[in-house]
Amino acid sequence: MKKILLLTVFLLVAVFAFSSSKIVLNMVQVFTSPSRTEVLQNIINQFEALHPNVQINLISPPYSTAYQKIYLMLSTNQPLDIVEVGDWSLEGVVELGKLVDLRPYIATWDASNDIVPGLMKAVSVTGGIPYIIPNGVYAKALFYRPDILAKYGITTPPKTMDELYSDCLKITDPKKNQYGFDFRGTGLPTNFIDIIITSYINDIDPNNMYKLTNGQLWFKDPRTLEGLKKYIDFYKYTAPKDSINWGFDEQVNAFVAGTTPFLFQDPDTTGLLKTMLKPDQWMTAPLPVGPSGKVYPSYGFGGWGITTYSKNKDMAWEFIKFFTTPKISAYFCKDYGALPVLKSVYESDPYFSQGVFKAWQYMFEHPETYVFTSYPLNNKKWTEWNEFQQDTMQQVLLGNMTPQEALNKWYDFWKDAFSM
Amino acid sequence: MRKSRKYKILRAIMLSIYLIAAIIPIYWIILTSFKVPSELYAYPIIYFPKVLTLSNYSYLFSFAHFSIYFKNSLLLSAISSIISTLLSIFSGYALARYSFKLKGFVIGLLFFSQMIPAYLLMVPQYSMFSNLGLINSLTALGILYVNIAAAFSTIMARGFFVRIPRSLEEAAMIDGCSRIGALFRITVPLAMPGIAAIFSFSFINDWNELFTATLFLNSDDRYTIPVALYSFISKAGIQWGVLSAGLVVALIPTIIIFAFMQKFIISGLTQGALKE
Amino acid sequence: MVRLLERRVLHVRRGAKSAPLFIFWMILPVILIVSIFTFYPTINGIILSFENYSVFNFANIHFVGLKNFKKILVDPLFWTALWNTLWWIVLSVAFQFVLGFGLALLMREPFKGRGIYAGFVFYPWALSGFAIGILWSWLLNGQFGFINDILVKLRIVSQSINFLSDPSWAFFSVILVNVWYGIPFFAIMLLAALQSIPEELYESAQIDGAGTFSRFFHVTVPYVSSTIFATLLLRVIWVMNFPDVIYGMTRGGPGGTTNILATYMINIVYYKNDYSLASAVGVFIITILMVYSVFYLQFTSKHGSGEF
Repeated sequence: MKKILLLTVFLLVAVFAFSSSKIVLNMVQVFTSPSRTEVLQNIINQFEALHPNVQINLISPPYSTAYQKIYLMLSTNQPLDIVEVGDWSLEGVVELGKLVDLRPYIATWDASNDIVPGLMKAVSVTGGIPYIIPNGVYAKALFYRPDILAKYGITTPPKTMDELYSDCLKITDPKKNQYGFDFRGTGLPTNFIDIIITSYINDIDPNNMYKLTNGQLWFKDPRTLEGLKKYIDFYKYTAPKDSINWGFDEQVNAFVAGTTPFLFQDPDTTGLLKTMLKPDQWMTAPLPVGPSGKVYPSYGFGGWGITTYSKNKDMAWEFIKFFTTPKISAYFCKDYGALPVLKSVYESDPYFSQGVFKAWQYMFEHPETYVFTSYPLNNKKWTEWNEFQQDTMQQVLLGNMTPQEALNKWYDFWKDAFSM
Repeated sequence: MRKSRKYKILRAIMLSIYLIAAIIPIYWIILTSFKVPSELYAYPIIYFPKVLTLSNYSYLFSFAHFSIYFKNSLLLSAISSIISTLLSIFSGYALARYSFKLKGFVIGLLFFSQMIPAYLLMVPQYSMFSNLGLINSLTALGILYVNIAAAFSTIMARGFFVRIPRSLEEAAMIDGCSRIGALFRITVPLAMPGIAAIFSFSFINDWNELFTATLFLNSDDRYTIPVALYSFISKAGIQWGVLSAGLVVALIPTIIIFAFMQKFIISGLTQGALKE
Repeated sequence: MVRLLERRVLHVRRGAKSAPLFIFWMILPVILIVSIFTFYPTINGIILSFENYSVFNFANIHFVGLKNFKKILVDPLFWTALWNTLWWIVLSVAFQFVLGFGLALLMREPFKGRGIYAGFVFYPWALSGFAIGILWSWLLNGQFGFINDILVKLRIVSQSINFLSDPSWAFFSVILVNVWYGIPFFAIMLLAALQSIPEELYESAQIDGAGTFSRFFHVTVPYVSSTIFATLLLRVIWVMNFPDVIYGMTRGGPGGTTNILATYMINIVYYKNDYSLASAVGVFIITILMVYSVFYLQFTSKHGSGEF
């Protein structure tokens, strides 16, 4: 009897040991596109080759409804281990309470020193706690069409907002369907509006785009009214009326068609432009500075987080670490067009400091002029703000609201949202 | 009825106008699907591309494994719509032929089910299926599709059955047919135009259903065509070339269904049977 | 027990003893499915609208009474959306119906290649809402749109029309596209109904001296009236809850001029992540549709549309 019992126990243990040998991780990406999915799948395959007992399932929801899906999955504890979150939605996802505080993991991670300075702080949106490890950085630069501008005698990109404006005015001729500025009217133009307006001020708080260094909101500062008026002028005099309805796709369309040869955009646009234009037809330059002598771009980012209910947190962390190694990170960024998050990649891989990437390199190297500023992403009303700003801006462009009224409304919004 | 020549010409003109209005976008989709990326955004607009390419289609089937999605959509839509149409024949018939106390209530309930906005159902339905462990299941999605189509199909089926005289069924039953037999041998053939229309609509609705599919399906190999097409819209813009190719491929079965079903919808079967 | 239920529910006046069983089982599958997968979640959804379920309150969801409803009623965007919705429905459905009926009448008599013609003229219905939205947003683009290009080349207009960004055109554009999309629905349904009209009715009417219009209104329309009423009712309900086209083309802009209740609801979900607030809008939508249906049914039963 004893022997049979012993044998049974031994067999059961053996069965368990074999059946639990495969670890399955579920991973969801947020910025799905067929080529990005392929890149991620390649990285996953490489990881699986190194860890034969691990299988990673990649979930790739369509970008437009990705967050809705993620919220539903997280709120019902669907099997998920690794979650990608973008900067604007990070606060929301963290509030759900399903992301792990990564500090213990980071503390024992060598490569944490290799991350671009300031980036970890930027992604620690909620209470200074990092819930994601960044996988790519986005920042706006100036894209322009040297071939089109040459026709009008413009051979160097504008260095200031005023120069940009006069260049745009010079070439704008509605009869010939030639305009200057690639205006973003819809699809959340927050970045675009702010870049121009804030360039008129020289004392923005680097931790909060909407505050001055003295802690006050800047919406009632007369300099910003000037900035907003200039922004409106860009629309009125140098962009097609239709651009009030332009999102990313229309912006690219107009740039490629040559209708608006000046465009502010993120580095992931480069991948798209490479397929549509010849190399000598497009170029990048640092953002023009404003009358204040400065310009305040923001860091955009996306990153990987781990779910609190994951049964394989450690293995999930292994994957994130693997992803954030120079070789993998460089491969991902080259294909996808994001800027790398590791210093060593910039130092070792010339790809990111040459050609079209020079513009960003220059901006990073001159932080006194190109002051990278954080948005108040941890504010509960952040996504509401995006919509509100867009709608009020459209009302102004349509002539239904004066710029001052819009600024007042924006002031009231943030006064309330910051509980000032 | 004799039709004058003037009428025939007028009719031809009107039919052409409808056709042109319908065709313009599809011409554009087909054209775009054969364009190379550099020509997509070109201005002035290129109507007759110098270079035609099949690369969008090959991308679709190799890189984007469209054949998997096609298969999923086909099975899902066909099976769901067959089931919902069948169920609607039964319930539509019952509602058409009989009076009973709660009949108005039942019909009202069916109409009411159409009024519920998708976003209201989103969280409750997802929670329900998540508790049952049915997320990422094509079968569960199929059941939801039957649900979506059942009420509408029943209402429409009732409308079509109501117009067919009971006398015909009764005649068959006197001859020894059972009620169900009469239903399928007499009534259904006569109502075939309507039933074919109902089936076509259910199939098309299922084929194009996007919202529920994106929420409930996780794995790439279970995706349906609408979800796959939606994935071509990303943060980095819209891949018009491939998206158009996908739309063209997705349209083919639906056009076939329409063309095939019109044989039933526009049938001459009804003419003779109603002579009394 | 089931027998008892059947006999209580189905107070059948005629037919054999087996009839009650028959009907109960015939209707049951559909009722069961719809109850489980639509009504039960709907009740939960309505309960949601009385809570504070949002991404930011996830740990602390509780009953908040009418707070969400009050919030909506004081929002001017809601009232704009409501007003837009009214016009959206009336104009879209009216034009779809008339043009769809016209198409059905034109297609009624056989002609060579009618099958293939049907495949091509009906295909708009075969496109999904979002596909139509983005497709037409490209076609109607003020700068690179195909439509504008043709209009300018044919000298119909001197410069492009900003179909989607000009507030005076945007609403018209989305309605146009919705009509384009909906014509096949009415055409197919009415065509099917038209097929079952017996030839003799027309012949006898003609013998009685009725002209074309008279025959149309006294023979055709009454015969297909039950289909007309059902399709109109259904289509209105569907159009109310159909934001895809608008969302794909203008997202409710410019400046909220094409916002309808359904897109207003989507925006609440996407930008405020407040599911309870969105559900409250959903409750408004359902209420409006129910009120509409009640009036509609009163109207149609008074005018004798047959058993309905």
